[in-house]
Amino acid sequence: MRKVLVSLLLTLVVFFAFANYLGYDATGKKGGTLILPTLSGPRTCNDTVSKETSSSDVIAMFMSWGGTLIERSAIDGKFYPALAEKWDGPRLTKDGGMEIIWYLRKGVKWSDGEPFDADDVVFTLNEIYTNPDIPSSFKDVIRSTNGYLPKATKINDYTVRMYYPEPFRLALRYLGGMYIFPKHKAESWVKNKKFAEFWTVDAINKKEIVGLGPFIPVEYVPDQYVRFVANPNYWKKTKDGTQLPFLKEVVYKIISSQDAQKLAFEKGEVDIYSQRGTEFRGTEFNYFKENEKKFNITVLAYGPAYGTQFITFNWNNKDEAKREWFRNVHFRKAVAYAMDKKKMIDTLFNGLAVEQWSPVSMASPYYNDKVTVKYPYDLNKARAELKLGGFSWDKNGKLIDSKGRPVKFIIETNAGNTVREGMGNIITAALKQLGMDITFVPGDFNTLINRMLNVGDWDAIIIGLTGSDEPQGGRNVWAIDGSLHFWNLSPKVADWVDPNAYWLPDFEKEIDKIFAENVRILDDNVVKDYWAKFQKLASENLPLIYTVNPLRLFAWRNTIKNVKITMLGGTTWNLDWLWKEQ
Amino acid sequence: MIKYIARRLIIMLPELWIITIIVFALIQLSPGTFLDQYKLDPSISQETLKAMEKELGLDKPAIVQYFYWLGKVVRGDFGYSFYYRRPVASLIGERLLGTFVLSLYSFVLSWIIGVVLGIVSALKKYTLTDKILTVVAFSGLALPGFFLALVLLYMAARTGWFPIGGMYSPETSRLDVWNAFKDIFWRMQLPAFTLTFGGFAGLMRYMRGSLLDVLNEDYVEFARAKGMPERVVIYKHALRNAINPLITMFGYSLSGLLSGAVITETIFSWPGLGRLTYQALLQKDYYVVMASTVIGTVLLVLGNLVGDILLAAVDPRIRYE
Repeated sequence: MRKVLVSLLLTLVVFFAFANYLGYDATGKKGGTLILPTLSGPRTCNDTVSKETSSSDVIAMFMSWGGTLIERSAIDGKFYPALAEKWDGPRLTKDGGMEIIWYLRKGVKWSDGEPFDADDVVFTLNEIYTNPDIPSSFKDVIRSTNGYLPKATKINDYTVRMYYPEPFRLALRYLGGMYIFPKHKAESWVKNKKFAEFWTVDAINKKEIVGLGPFIPVEYVPDQYVRFVANPNYWKKTKDGTQLPFLKEVVYKIISSQDAQKLAFEKGEVDIYSQRGTEFRGTEFNYFKENEKKFNITVLAYGPAYGTQFITFNWNNKDEAKREWFRNVHFRKAVAYAMDKKKMIDTLFNGLAVEQWSPVSMASPYYNDKVTVKYPYDLNKARAELKLGGFSWDKNGKLIDSKGRPVKFIIETNAGNTVREGMGNIITAALKQLGMDITFVPGDFNTLINRMLNVGDWDAIIIGLTGSDEPQGGRNVWAIDGSLHFWNLSPKVADWVDPNAYWLPDFEKEIDKIFAENVRILDDNVVKDYWAKFQKLASENLPLIYTVNPLRLFAWRNTIKNVKITMLGGTTWNLDWLWKEQ
Repeated sequence: MIKYIARRLIIMLPELWIITIIVFALIQLSPGTFLDQYKLDPSISQETLKAMEKELGLDKPAIVQYFYWLGKVVRGDFGYSFYYRRPVASLIGERLLGTFVLSLYSFVLSWIIGVVLGIVSALKKYTLTDKILTVVAFSGLALPGFFLALVLLYMAARTGWFPIGGMYSPETSRLDVWNAFKDIFWRMQLPAFTLTFGGFAGLMRYMRGSLLDVLNEDYVEFARAKGMPERVVIYKHALRNAINPLITMFGYSLSGLLSGAVITETIFSWPGLGRLTYQALLQKDYYVVMASTVIGTVLLVLGNLVGDILLAAVDPRIRYE
């Protein structure tokens, strides 16, 4: 202990000693069942295997909300103590590495009554999430710049040290939010090398699931519902001594069609409609808004959402002419000016969306409106950009490049996504007005992704990515060797890219550097400068041309209390202190 | 007869084997793999994808994967679902009941209604009754199942007479057996109606046509001419002959019992095999698709066999020796 304290190299020392945690100040009544709709049931209850929200929503019930070392408030975006009463760091160590010391809350029990202590935390990090035999996407996010994984050591039963050989800014966020596995249940599965089969959905009915979170799944009827009961050993209490959660039960009702979900909400069979927001349709929003009183519900648009939708061009196209156009920044700027975002918002989202200009989500503290270059819809400016880029028009009004070749290419998107198809039509119509010869083709999603990443025979694609408030989450997209750097995949990543024709402009190198370096900085103000530069470069050079970003739409029954909608959170971010009027 | 059945059952094995090869090849030839759905997630690295590929055996050649699967099936193991990390057999087992109950119920209903109304329609041909029944039958054939299902759901929401989909509610498990049965039976009515309405219409038209054909035959005229009561003519002679083509159809439609109703199951949130298979197909969860194809094929072959046996039982002209 002493040694650790001495080995401080002071850059940033944060010492948190909150008396309270999220939910400490909450008031409410015990009892009640919250019924949430979901489109499909869980595939697994094992976080390392889970890849989709239908599973991760179920897992979060017993592993999140107070089941992690620290918790983030959706109100102020700050981290609050949870299983860790307080923590030191992240701070640099003498050897150039970085450490965080967690001081665990004493007396916390797993839902089966076993005590929770440092062994569980050390086991989870060292033997599950950093185990080379257990693939998980969490392993990818906790890897530092040079690929190091953290190591945990037990200092005593209630103190854990986590260490990286190099500074890594995101360590606090990710390690603090890490789901903790019960060593007494999971250890034998890790040893037998069968961890992928630990906690399949069978485990729910066998009552094998044990957690630190507020609700434990106890019953699963395939394609029908998952029932959770309040964790009898949940550690959180309000300041007047009431044990949380307030709710007695939570039920995930699996309703596989959205129309049926809507009717079920209207009829009162579910309490919250589309807690994720993005699935909610603008037409439904108006319908519910008009009937707020009649159905006794609250309907709210808030946002924008984290995700992005954009058009991107293949800089490594096999056709040399297309390669030249797509690499020409004036061409991309012309496309940006030709994008009628207002029309997209009105026709595709019923007005419930905002224009997007930056790769950083507007909900992020790193979003910087001042540095972001914007391209309001203006076909004359688009024509001017095309002229600057060496393009001209033949006597029929068709756009030709400096070598006289007519500009002709295909825009694709995945069929069935009506929003993207609508965007495609709007963009295509505008580009045709500029004299481009464009075919717009919606196609099968899997085929599209395969051709985009593995084959390379595409011109332009309209697609989207999920996002978060932390720009570093897009590393695979923006790093030069990133596997999702689709517009200009590195020949190291994709064998279809011709190394001789590969071209790397300076702004790409600079962005790559930003992604590599920002995570080594622990001072948030410096990090903000990094992300400002990133937004400036990305919006000046437009490798991805963003479209619009929908607002998040929320609707819940008025009987559900303590709902606090913010930019960062939805209806259930404070599930452990929601309550229901009986 | 027993020899015939045994022969048919033995032929089934190579049939099934060839079908599994074809299905496996088709899945392999269709673009993309199970891992594609993860490729566009910025948080999943190349290494993780490679590790998953290796873990699931997707890095091996298709032939190796096929024989690995076949070897397991021979030992009674239907393989492992990539998506659920569970044996396929238990996944299918969980949903078998839901699909079977719903399909069987609407199967029986549509056959009874279809055959009875078909007979009525044929006997009262060109009357008002026949015309009304014909309109009903054509609406049943023309109305898309998903549309009918949505209309019914909307009605349920407006009137509150029926729940919005689902076979079990979270309350079902707390009820006693009789009340649980009533609850499930009640929940089954709307999806069953959707399936029945689409199903009986075709049968009714077949029955009508077939009976009308027979009623025009010389031997029916002869029976009438010699003064046989009309009741005996129709039910003893005409109907027995008219039913033959329907028995063949009966055999075929048995195969739909476990796979029939993807759309209806989805709209009414009914826990069925159709939905499981459909999702598996989209996600390229190979072994789930393989298993349900095998089940479907077995049912098709068995259904045909049952149809043939029934045909022999009712028609003395047919003998399988």
